[in-house]
This record gives sequence, C-alpha cells and structure tokens, in this order.
Amino acid sequence: MSMGWILAAALFLPLFPLSLAFNRLVASLPPGLAQALAVLALPQCGLGLLRLAPPVSALPVAVRHWGMAWAVLSAFLYAFRTLSAREIGVWTRLLLSSGLALAWLGWWNGTPLPVLEVLVFGWTWPAAIMLWLVGALVRRLGGAYAGLQGGIVRVMPRMAASLTLAVLALAATPVFPAFFATWRTFSPLLINWVPFLLPLLFFWGWASARLFQDLLFGRYRGETVPDLSRGSALLMNLLLLASLILNFYPNGVG
Amino acid sequence: MERFAVLVPVLPVVSAVLILLCLRRHRRWAARVSVGSLMLALAGAAALLVHYLITGRAAVVDAHGVFGSLWLDPLSLVLWVFVSGISLIVHIYSVRYMIEEPGYSRFFALLDLMTAVILFMVSAANLLTLVVAWFLVGVILYFLLGHDHERPAAGRYAFWTQITYRFGDLPLWLAALILVHCYHTLSLPVIFARIQSLPTRAFWGMPVTEVTGFLLALAAFARSAQFPLHVWLPYTMDGPTPVSALMHAGIVNAGGFLFNRFAPVFEHAGWSLHWAFAVGLVTAVTGSGLMLMQNDVKRSLGYSTMGQMGFMVMECGLGAFPLAVFHLIAHGFFKASLFLGSGDVIGDARAHDDVPPDPIYTSVVERQPAKPSRLPWLVAASLTVLVPVLVLSLSHFFVAEHLFYEQGVVVLLFFGWVTGAQALFAAHKMSKQNPWRLMIGILASFVVVVIGYTLISHYFSQFLYPNEHESLMLYQAASIHRVSFDALVLVLAAIFVGGWTLTFFADSLELGRNLGGRWRALYLGFYALLSRELYVADVYERVSETLLQWSRRLNVWLRWC
Repeated sequence: MSMGWILAAALFLPLFPLSLAFNRLVASLPPGLAQALAVLALPQCGLGLLRLAPPVSALPVAVRHWGMAWAVLSAFLYAFRTLSAREIGVWTRLLLSSGLALAWLGWWNGTPLPVLEVLVFGWTWPAAIMLWLVGALVRRLGGAYAGLQGGIVRVMPRMAASLTLAVLALAATPVFPAFFATWRTFSPLLINWVPFLLPLLFFWGWASARLFQDLLFGRYRGETVPDLSRGSALLMNLLLLASLILNFYPNGVG
Repeated sequence: MERFAVLVPVLPVVSAVLILLCLRRHRRWAARVSVGSLMLALAGAAALLVHYLITGRAAVVDAHGVFGSLWLDPLSLVLWVFVSGISLIVHIYSVRYMIEEPGYSRFFALLDLMTAVILFMVSAANLLTLVVAWFLVGVILYFLLGHDHERPAAGRYAFWTQITYRFGDLPLWLAALILVHCYHTLSLPVIFARIQSLPTRAFWGMPVTEVTGFLLALAAFARSAQFPLHVWLPYTMDGPTPVSALMHAGIVNAGGFLFNRFAPVFEHAGWSLHWAFAVGLVTAVTGSGLMLMQNDVKRSLGYSTMGQMGFMVMECGLGAFPLAVFHLIAHGFFKASLFLGSGDVIGDARAHDDVPPDPIYTSVVERQPAKPSRLPWLVAASLTVLVPVLVLSLSHFFVAEHLFYEQGVVVLLFFGWVTGAQALFAAHKMSKQNPWRLMIGILASFVVVVIGYTLISHYFSQFLYPNEHESLMLYQAASIHRVSFDALVLVLAAIFVGGWTLTFFADSLELGRNLGGRWRALYLGFYALLSRELYVADVYERVSETLLQWSRRLNVWLRWC
C-alpha cells in the first residue's frame, strides 16, 4: 500500500513516466486560467498524498537511493527536452516537470514536507503565471509559438515584460523562490549528488535563453494586436513579486 | 562608517527601481537620477577607501542572515572605486549616446542594476551572495547586450554570452557547495580562516583546496574569456557601445577578481595555478594573434581584450595576484577609453576616406619604412635585447629584491623583456631622420614606464596583501621544480627568439611570396584556420545542433508530454 501512495503522488507531483499523464492532463485543459490553476493545485495534491505515505526513513536505504537517482534522471530528461520546445505552453510544462522532480529528490532524501511545499510553490507559481500569459497570447495571436512572430517587445511591451519576468522566475534565477528553494534542496544532499544536478541549471538557462531569443528579438511580422492591459500586467508582476515572500520561509510556511 | 557602506551597492538598486516604477516616460530625469546615484556611490566608495587607508581596519558588515553580508577589505574597496568610477563614465557617456534609442530609461535602469550586482559581487562576505551576484551579472548582461531587440544579431550574441556564463556558473556552484560541505559555513572569512588552520583537508581523495581551486579557475576562465571559452567576447560588439565599454572594462575582469578573492584557497592549490598559467598563456597568444587578423575595429578590440585577459590569468597562474588586480584596473580604464572613442574613429574614417599621411600608419599598415634612415643593425639589436633586461632587472632589484628570486617574478620579467624588446624593435623599424633621438626618447619613456609600474605595483601589492607572507605563499604555490622551471624558460626563450628570427627572415627574404609546394599549402591552411578563428564557434554550433536534434527526437517519441 505504501508504494501505492507514492505512485499516486507521482501522478500529481510529476515524476517520469507518470509525469506524461500529468502533462497530458494539463494540456487537455483550455489554455489560460484553467491550466494555471491546474499546475498550482495538482502538485499540492501530490504532496498531500505523500503525507499519507510511510515516512521515507522507514524505507530501505537502497530504495531511497534508487528513488533519488530516478528523480535526478526525471529532472534531466525534462530539462533536456525543454531545449527544443517552441510552443510556450509545452515549454512551461516541461520545465515545470523538471523542477518538480527535485521535490522528489528532496523527499527521498528526507527533506521535511513543509520545506517541499515552499519548493513546489516556488516552481508552480511562475509556471501558473506563464500558462495564464500563454492563454492571453493564444487569444491575441492564435498560438503561442516562439519564433513564429519574434520581436513582441515592440507591439506588446507589457506582455513581453511579464513573460520575461515569469521565465526568469521559472528558470530558477536568483532572487526568485525557485532558486533559493533549489539551493536548500541541494545543500543537505550528499555532495556526491551535486555534480549530477548542476547541469540542470545549465539546461534551464539554455532553454530560457532560446525562448527569449525567439520571442523577444527580431522584427514583429504579425498583425497589430492589443497589449496586455495595464491592470493585468500589474497583477502578474505583483504576483511574481509577492512570490518573493516565500524566500523568508526557509523551513516552510507550516 | 561601515554601517553606511551598504548604501554604496544599494543606491544604484534604488535608482533602478525608481526609474522602472516612476520615470519610464521621463527620459531626462531617468538619466539624471541614474548618473546622480552613481556619483553618490562613487563618493561613498572613495570615502570608505580613505577611511580604510586612515584606520587600516577591514570590516564585515553582517546582514544577520545567509544573504547580503559585505566584506570591506582592501580588494573590495579598491574594486568598488574602480567599478563605480568606470560605471559613472559609461553612464555619462550614455546620456547623449543613447538619446535616440528606444528604451532609454530601461537602459539606465539595467546599467544601474548591473553596477549594483557587480558591487555586491566584489564585496560579498558569504558564498551565497557571491554565487547569486555572479549569476545575476550574466542575466543582466544578456538584457543589456540585447538592448536593441530588433537586431537578431544582438540577440544571437547575447545568447552566446549567456550560455558561456551559465556554463561557467556550474563550477562556481560546485566549488561553493564543496566549501560549505567541508567547512560548515557560508561565511568567506570563516572559511578562509579554517583553510589556514587545516589546509590539508581531503575531499574526493584530493586536497579540498586543489579541487575547489580547479573549479574556481574554470569559473574564472568562462567569465574572462579564456580559450576555448572565449567565443562570446569578440562578438558582443553588436550590443550598444557603452555596454561594450562596461563589459570590456569591468565585467570581463571578474576572473581576476575571483582568483584574488579566493587567494587563501590558491595558496594551497599549486596545480590549479599551473593550469591557470597554461590556459592564460594560450589565451594571450591566441587572442593577440587573432586580433592582428581582424579588419573590424571593435572586434579587434574584443580580441585585444581576450589577449589581455589571458595575460591577467597568466599573472594569477604565476602567483602575482595583486599584479592581476592592478592589470585589470589599468586595462579597464584603457579599454573603456578605446571603446568610448571607437565611434569617433569610425565616424572620422567615414568622413575622411583618405588615409592620413602618418608615418606610423605608413610603417605598420603599408609595411614600408617611413624613412630609410635607421640605426646600425648591431647597435639596434644590442639596445633591443639588453636595455629591457637591465631596466627591468634593476628596477625590480631595488624595489623588492627578495621577490626577485621567485619564479613567478622571473617569468613576468621575462615577458616584460620580450614586450620591451618588441617595442624597441618596432621603434627601430620606424626610424626617422634622427634615429638616435627617436631611440633615446623611446628608451627614456620605457625607463619611466617600467620604474613607475614597478613602484606602483609594489605598493599596490602591499596594500592589497598587507601580510607579505600571503604574497610569498602564492608565489611559492605557483612555483615548480627547479629543473622544470629552467627548461620552461629555455623553451619560452627559444620560441620567442625563433619567432623573431622567422619574422626577420620572412620580412627580408619575402618568404610569404616565395613559398612553394607543401609549405605554401601549410601556410594557407594555417591562415584559413586563423581566419575561421580556429573553428571553435563552429564546433560549439555543431555540438549544440546535435543536442537539439536529440531533444526534438525525444519530444516526438514522448509526444511532447
């Protein structure tokens, strides 16, 4: 039964291969608010299920090490796959799956659940904002493909600024909670694990730079479209800044 | 006094926030606030430096947490003045230079943020602050380089920079985590004290100082454009000129800073220093060689910076850490003035398409002697070879005799001799109506420069490293076995003398025109290799394309879920 709880949690807190179902479920929802709410809520459900699972210290050490290795592989797989994603919704889901796999790494390593909650919030918060912005882009341009119509800074400066901030937050850029939460997950690990984890930072940075390059640079060739409203942009950026509060809760908000 | 120190890096942050929130549409005010905040930051940094000179007391401003503590030691204070000074010059230059560009206010806000982050980086008293600031420099630089978002080239080269910086961040992260793991603290002063008390501590079967020294050197290589991580540097010229100036004068020097900040680690990391010496030497030669082949002023300056950075890292590899800081400051001001003046040079060249009748230009570009009158060959050769040896040796001997026996100093003197001899040789080739007058003038300048440089670098070293034992430890860590050292010096001497001989015969016998068969093919192959900049960028492009193809295949197999 204990493995049942863990498998059920992996369905909501994505871990390969069950993450395929998670991503398919999110993608099946209408773009925008629905997807944003889904990525906020589902991983928390996963954490809730992990509360029901037996304490990780009760599991054999070999199982824990295999679990940690699997989490690292899952994070790698998704980070690597993010490099070639051009649809921004797909890009967001893949990067989120990579980041959330670190919660599994923390869990197998015995990190307390309140700390993992902060980690999961740190990753899902910007992802939710990204998916909400993807919905807004789809409504304006008919799709949210990087490289299809570059140079959105000129026509939609507020949209470009909000997307830039959200991508930076999602790619674990310092000052945003995903960075500090990831640091806290890495720090208590056995140092031998760290060399395998660090390339993740490189892949996240590479993926976000590719997205910026295709989205922000170049001449916009599409029709004139309205920018994000002032209020929406303000709300998005305030939400992102509000996420910084999580940095003050290194031991969890509980 | 120290309590107010935090204002120095915070002032530019306040300015950036103010500009982004309130002054986006008020361009003139945005520039005024930005320049004003930098003036205040520079004044604060200078006041703190003077305070240190009076009291001689380094301090740590503790943020009572894991993040944000500042270390006000000589290195931080000198670099605060340098960084805020260069940044202020760039700010003032940008006020008019960028006036017609869209995103004028945003540009100033980003410049302010960049300055603040660098100020935090050079004064960080704990590892997390240092790593975060190091990381953020790359992020902000990306947006500064890509300021003109309508130019795809700007985005492409900003991307190259970003990728190289991300790659270089990884060894710094790993080094930081290893240090935290081994010494159980984030505080840099505490870590360094613990290293001094137990320098032989092992990690992964090796001394922890060697492992972290190796990683820190790798991080410095990526940031300071060392071969083969240099490709981004010459191509970042598509960014605005003030950003090029700030980058070449300040940001690219971060490698030298990292070596100096972690000097207590490198005191016990001899192999890392040897590695730095080799990489720096290769970079200096490659950068200077590629610089000579460029026909674009700004890219040529980019490769010149690469060569200088190679020399700076080489100095670190020889244990001359304070000399590297002195070098980075001197090079920073020199390169900033060249970049900020490059627009005028290009403008002048466009306005007057006739080549100025300048004897130096005639000699260097058209490869014709300005005047046929020269010194006798033997006299010129003797002066070229002997004078630099005498001047360099005597000046160092009188200023710091005890350092004269350190291997690092000998190698630096050797390079000083080569450079001095090259300068005198070039002067000999450009002889004028009165060759003796020209030679005496150049010799006098050479003597003044060498003595001035020796004195300044000596006192600067004493300022940065008041504990002379530390300087000697670095020189000793950089030393190698006596026989190997003698062999190295002989090989280097043979390479330089061989190079001079080859140049002399190639010039006088016109070897370039008379080459035949296999030699000509070899010459052309080498020329092609250099003109394609050693194919380093092509290799990176091929590797990244292959990785992206694999990523796409995986995504197709897994149906993008």
